[in-house]
Amino acid sequence: MRVDPSYSSNLVGALDQSQLNEQRLTAELSSGVSITALSQNPVASGENVLLLNQIQQDDSFTQSSSLVTSQLQVADSTLGSVVSQLTQAVSLAISANNGTMNASNVKSIGNQISGILDEVQSLGNTSYQGQYIFAGGKTSTLPFTTSTATSPATTTYNGDNDVNYLEAPDGQKIQLNLPGSQIFSATGANNVFAALNSLVADYSTGNVNTTQAVSDTQALGTALNFVSQQRVVVDNSITQLSAATDSITSQQTQLTTAQTNLMQADVATVSTQLSLSETQQTALEDVIAQLDSQSNSLFSKLQ
Amino acid sequence: MGTISSAFDLISGALNADQAALSIVANNVANANTPGYTEKTPNWQENDPIHINGVQYGDGVTETGATSMRDKVLSARLDQQQQLASASNARLTALDSVQALFTPDSGSSSSTAGDIGNDLTSFFSSFSSLEAEPTNNSLREEVLTSATTLAGNISNAAASLNTQRSALDQEASGVTSQVNALTSSIAQLNQQIQSTSPNADAGTLEDQRQEDLTQLSQLIGINQVKTENNGLSVTTTSGQLLVSENSSFQLTSGSFSGVTHFFVGTTDITSQLTTGGGELGGYLTARDEDIPGAVTSLDQLAYGISTSVNQLNNTGADLNGETGTSAAPLYIFSEPTQLAGSALGMSVTMTDPSKIAAAGAGQGTGDNSNAVAMAKLASESLMQPIATTALGVSQNLNALSSSATSSVQVYDSLGNSYNAAVTYTNLGSNTWGYSISVPDVLTANTSVPGSVSFGFGPGETVNPGTSLTISGNIGGGGTATIIAPMVTAGETVGTAGPPATGYVAALDAQITAAGIIGVTVSSTGGVLTISGATGTTGKVIADPVASANATGTLNFNASGALVGPAANVSSITFAGLSDGAANLNLDWNLYAANGTGTVTQTAAATLQLGESQNGSVGVSNGPTPTGFFSNFVSTLGATVSGVEAENTAQNASVTQLQTQNDALSKVNLNDEAAAMSTLESSYQAASKVFTILSTVMESALNLGTQTAFS
Repeated sequence: MRVDPSYSSNLVGALDQSQLNEQRLTAELSSGVSITALSQNPVASGENVLLLNQIQQDDSFTQSSSLVTSQLQVADSTLGSVVSQLTQAVSLAISANNGTMNASNVKSIGNQISGILDEVQSLGNTSYQGQYIFAGGKTSTLPFTTSTATSPATTTYNGDNDVNYLEAPDGQKIQLNLPGSQIFSATGANNVFAALNSLVADYSTGNVNTTQAVSDTQALGTALNFVSQQRVVVDNSITQLSAATDSITSQQTQLTTAQTNLMQADVATVSTQLSLSETQQTALEDVIAQLDSQSNSLFSKLQ
Repeated sequence: MGTISSAFDLISGALNADQAALSIVANNVANANTPGYTEKTPNWQENDPIHINGVQYGDGVTETGATSMRDKVLSARLDQQQQLASASNARLTALDSVQALFTPDSGSSSSTAGDIGNDLTSFFSSFSSLEAEPTNNSLREEVLTSATTLAGNISNAAASLNTQRSALDQEASGVTSQVNALTSSIAQLNQQIQSTSPNADAGTLEDQRQEDLTQLSQLIGINQVKTENNGLSVTTTSGQLLVSENSSFQLTSGSFSGVTHFFVGTTDITSQLTTGGGELGGYLTARDEDIPGAVTSLDQLAYGISTSVNQLNNTGADLNGETGTSAAPLYIFSEPTQLAGSALGMSVTMTDPSKIAAAGAGQGTGDNSNAVAMAKLASESLMQPIATTALGVSQNLNALSSSATSSVQVYDSLGNSYNAAVTYTNLGSNTWGYSISVPDVLTANTSVPGSVSFGFGPGETVNPGTSLTISGNIGGGGTATIIAPMVTAGETVGTAGPPATGYVAALDAQITAAGIIGVTVSSTGGVLTISGATGTTGKVIADPVASANATGTLNFNASGALVGPAANVSSITFAGLSDGAANLNLDWNLYAANGTGTVTQTAAATLQLGESQNGSVGVSNGPTPTGFFSNFVSTLGATVSGVEAENTAQNASVTQLQTQNDALSKVNLNDEAAAMSTLESSYQAASKVFTILSTVMESALNLGTQTAFS
C-alpha cells in the first residue's frame, strides 16, 4: 500500500492547531472570559446582551430610586410640619371659640393663625433642588400666592394637577409627587388655605362670630384630616420605592450571577483542557523531533 | 540459434534500459519537493522474440519512457473540494473581522467603548434617570452624551463594515490578473499537450497544467471538461467558458456603483462567481451578502431608534415648554430619510439639553411623562422595516401613526406622468389597509393662446395637483401670469354663475385678484374653458374615470413579518385615461427576492419607465432595540460559527483527498531507494553477464589459446 510521504507536514498542521488551541485557552484563563468572539457561543453572546441590558436597567432604577426617595422624604417631612402647624391652628381656634377670651386675646390668636397661614404657605412653596415640589408639573412656578385684597384673603394655586410617576423595570408605576391643589386647595371642605384665611378673618377684629368661627374651625379640622390622608400617599410611594429597590437589587444580583456564569471562564475546565492540549503538543513535538532525527527514507540504508 | 553477438546486443540493451530507468528514478528524487510534480515510473517492454528455425529466442528489454502516477478523477475531486475550502476560508477571514467589531462585553466593566448593546441600555436608561428629575440639567446632558456615544458607535461600526467591504472589493479585483495568468497558461499548455502527446499522458506538461488548475481552484470555482487530443476546457461552475482548448477568455473587472463587477466579454458573471467557490467566491459572498446584511441590520436599528426617539421628542415639551414644529423640529438624532445609510449617518443633532422634551405637550416643565415614554421605548418594539414596496419611498408603518402615504411617478403610453400613490391606514392589530391610486390627467383640448378647455366630464370630482398657469393683460398695460389655485379634494368644476361656483369661482377670483382683464372662465357640461388668455401652460388633474383604486389589507404577524397578502400585488390596471393612452398596468412588489421592490410597467412610453423607488413597510411589533441587537449578534455569531464548521469540514476533506493524491502521485523516497537498489542489482547482473560474455567471446576468438587475443 502506498502512503502519503509528506506526513510530517500534516503533523506540523496538527501542531499549529494545538498551539492555536493553547493560545485560546491561555487567553481565557488570563482574561477570565470564556467568550471572546461571537462565534464561540452565538446563543450566549445574544443572551449576554439581554442580561447586561437588564442589569443596567436595574442599576439605573436603583440610582433613580435613590434620587426620588430624597425628594419624597422632603415632601413627607414638609407635610408632617403642615399637619403639626394645622393641629396647632385648630387648637388655637378651639380656644378662641370657647367664649372665655377677651377681644385682645382673640386678636392675638388671629395673629398666631395668620402666622401659621404664612408658615403653611411657605411649606406649600417648598422647593427641592430648585424645583417646587407641590406645583404639579409647573415646578418652576411658585405654587401658592395670597392676595389680601379680599376679606377673607385669597390664596391661589398657580401650579397644575400633573402627577409624575417613576416606572420600575417590571412596569410598576410609583407616584412621585402630589400637586399642591390636591393637598392644600382641594375643592369643597378640604381647602386648607380657605379655612385658615377664614379663621384669620374671623379673629381679625377681636369680635368673634362664634357660629362662623366654629364652622370654619371644623372646616380646618376636615382639611387637616385630608392633608394627613394625602401624606399617606407620599408614605406609600416611599414604601413602594424601598420595596421595589430591594426587589430590583435582588433581581440584579441574580442576573449578575447568571451573566457571570454565562461569560466567565470555568477555571477548572479550562485548566484541564489546557493541560491536555499541552500534552498533545509535547507529544506532537516529540514525534516530529523523532522523525527529524532519523533519516526518513531507505536512502540512508543504501551502501 | 542465438549467437554470442546477439547475447551481447541483448545484454547491452538491458544495460541501456537500466540506465534509463535509473535516470527516471534520479529525476523523481530530484523533483521530490517540486510542487505539482508527479512521480514517474519507468515503462519496461519485453522486445519481440526472434524465431530461428522454429525456435523462439527472447530479445531482451527496452525502456520505453516514463508513466506519471496520476489519477485525474482524484485530482478533479481535490480541485473541487479545494474551491469550497478556499471560499469558506476567505469568507471566514472576512467574517472574523466583522465579528471583531461586536466582541461581547464580558460584564467586568459597566461599559466598554464600542459596545452597542451597552450603549443602547445607557441611552434609554438616561431617560429613566430623567424621569426622577426631569428638569435636572446634568441628567439632560447625560441623555445627549449617551445618545452621542450610541450614534457614534453605530456609525463607526457601519463605517468599519463599509471599509471592510471596500478592502474585500479590492482583494476580489486583485484576483482577476491571477486568474487570467493561469487561464492563459492552461490554454498554452493545452496546445503543447495536444501537439506533443494527443493520445497519452503528457508527463511534465500535464503536471504543469494540473498545477495551474489547482491554483485556479484556489481562486475561483471551475469545472473541467476533457476534450479530444488530451485537451481541456475550463468553465466557471455555472458554465461560463474560461479556457477552450488553446484559447483563453480574459476575466475583466469594472466598477459599477462603487462595487467591482466581473465580466467575461460583456457578460456580467459576478453573481456566478459569488456562488461558484474559490477565494473570489468567498470574498464576494462576504462583500455582497454578509457585510451588507450586517449593515442593513445596523441601518434598521439606527432607523428605528432615530425615528422613534425623534418622533416622541418632537411631540413632547422641552424645558421651555415648547414642542417641535415642522420648521424647528425637536430632533435628538439626525432624522433619516430612508433606511439605507441610516447607521452610517446616525448622529446627534441636538446640542442644547434643554431641548429634550421630558414633559408631555401642554404640561409644565416638571412633568416627566414624555421621559417615561422615551425610556419605555427600550422595552417597546423597534419600528422595523420588513417588507418592500415599489410604489413608495421609505415608509414606516408604526403604531404611533394612523395613516401614511407615499408616491412614485409613473408614465403612460403617451409619456404623460402620474403620481401613483399608496395610502396606508392603520386598522389596528397589526393590520394596515392600503389603497393604490393613480389620478388621471386632463390635458388641454387646445394649446393656442386665447382659449383653453379642460374636459372634466360630468359628475367628476377634482383632486389637488394642478399646475396650470394663465397669462393675460393687466389694466394700464403689461401682462401678468398666475398659477391657478390648487383644486381641493372633492371640488367640482362648478359654473360661471353668477354666483360662480366650484373650481370656476376659485380660478376666476385669482385672475381678478391679479388684475388680469379680458380673461373669462366658464364651464359647460363639465368642460372648463378659459378665454382671452395670452398663454396657458400645465394640466389639471382629476380622478380616474373608469378604474377604482386597488385596495387591500396588509397583515403582519407578531414578529413583524408580513404574512398577507401572500404574494406581490400584480396586474393593477388603470383604464380609461383621459389622454387616450393605453391602460396603465402596475405591479406592487412586496416580496422581491433580493429584498427590494421594483415596479414593472407595461404599455409605458418609450424611454420613460416608472421609477423604482424602493421603500420599506414596517410595523412596530418587531423586537425591542436591545432584543434586535441581541438577535443580530446571535445571528452573526451563528453565521461565523457555521462557516467555521463548514471550513473545518472542508479542510479535513481537502487533507484527506490530498493525502490520497500524495500517496499516489508524490515522490516517495523509500520507493525510489528500493527502485534504485533493484535497478543497481539488475545493472550489476547485466554487467556481470556482459563480462562473462566477453570472456566467452575471448575464448572463442583464441580457440583455447589464452595469449593469442585478449
